[in-house]
Amino acid sequence: MLSPLPTPEPHTVRRARPLLGTLVEIAVSDDRHSQEKLHAAVSDAFAEVERVHRLMSFHEATSDLSLVNRHALSRPVRVHADTYKVFEMALNFSWLTQGAFDPTVAAPILESSGYLPSCRTQCDPGADWRDIELLGDTCIRYRRAVRADLGGIAKGFAVDLAVCALAARDIEDVLVNAGGDLRVAGPRSHGVRLRHPVEPLEKAYFLEIKGRALATSAPYFSRRKDASNREMSALVDPVNRMPELDVGSVTVLASDCASADALTKAVLFASREVAERSLAVCGAEACVIK
Amino acid sequence: MRFDSRIAYMSIAAVAVCVPAHALVYMSVEQAQQLMFPGQSLAALSLRLSADQIAAVEKDAGVKVYPGGLRAWKADQGYFFVDAVIGKHDLITYAVALDADGKVRQVEILEYREAYGGEVRNSHWRAQFTGRHHGDPVRIGKDIQNISGATLSCEHVTEGIRRLLAIYAVAIANA
Repeated sequence: MLSPLPTPEPHTVRRARPLLGTLVEIAVSDDRHSQEKLHAAVSDAFAEVERVHRLMSFHEATSDLSLVNRHALSRPVRVHADTYKVFEMALNFSWLTQGAFDPTVAAPILESSGYLPSCRTQCDPGADWRDIELLGDTCIRYRRAVRADLGGIAKGFAVDLAVCALAARDIEDVLVNAGGDLRVAGPRSHGVRLRHPVEPLEKAYFLEIKGRALATSAPYFSRRKDASNREMSALVDPVNRMPELDVGSVTVLASDCASADALTKAVLFASREVAERSLAVCGAEACVIK
Repeated sequence: MRFDSRIAYMSIAAVAVCVPAHALVYMSVEQAQQLMFPGQSLAALSLRLSADQIAAVEKDAGVKVYPGGLRAWKADQGYFFVDAVIGKHDLITYAVALDADGKVRQVEILEYREAYGGEVRNSHWRAQFTGRHHGDPVRIGKDIQNISGATLSCEHVTEGIRRLLAIYAVAIANA
């Protein structure tokens, strides 16, 4: 028997596309607008996410990020204003969290374990976020051989851009979810299921958010064994530079998604004091499930 | 000493509730056709690949080809495809619009369905999902279906699109 197709509720549109290495979902609802207008608004919002995907993909050789990683050691590289802004935000969070959030830590380790494509030049093992120099006029230079990966913040930034695009089109009720980095806008509260750290497919924790953003970091789903059979995770501790395994999940609630995304690393890797202060500065809260 | 903490710690046992597997229908095939090719008429194409063509596609795309997986339509200006891919934990059907030159113009997810454990490898379970709209699509906006804490991979969709483009090149563009 055929079950009914999703009855398209009037004035509601919910779509998803494969972007930023995950499924990005955009849902809007507004009684004042037609279905066509909502679809057009959602398409515009996806265009914003696609732009971030093109500019900041670590994997695509032609992205701004790849150009910076290839050339910024030898010369200043001019990037798109959005790429520059994400670098700025990333370095601000590195400073605020005293390096717990560091866009340079993941690439060398993840490359060696097969998460990210490897690059020919060796990274300087002593280098970190402080070796990324923002020269103004959207130019970036590296002082030492580092390789930046904006994965810990670009998804949140893309979610924020999409939410802003929808707000600019006067859409009342908005949800954008990029594989767990999500933000809602409007007067309604939205239920969110936080995955259970150990049994992500069977159990979850529910919470409700209204007009806020949320991001979760946890090693499940991304765990795998490396070549020498050590267990690996896509999270990397910036201090000992080893993959982080001994956590459940960390969820941060903040007013914007880029901050929520970056602050998960503060809670995971910073001292309690630094984590508390970083959250307070951003008006954010965290929930740790162990 | 007490201080105002912004970090709440919770134990798994205290917070967990059992949940049904996540399943979402974003749009039907017809809705995707309308969205991607508004006002155009679409004619179904039959895609029967010869053994040689399958070998060429697999070599070109680096992904295995399963017979009958892909459905194709010719629009007035371009092509429309529906395909399904199986991940480690999930099954995703998606639609792709190509323009008349065979370039990807738009990708939309049609359905996303998550499975427990090995369920996704069970052909019975898959049969209820692929092709037709069986199963129990969750009504949009009625249930809590927003998930955090899992970066769902779209690797298989990316692979599927690569395969689809190779099939287009071998069986449609050069036919």
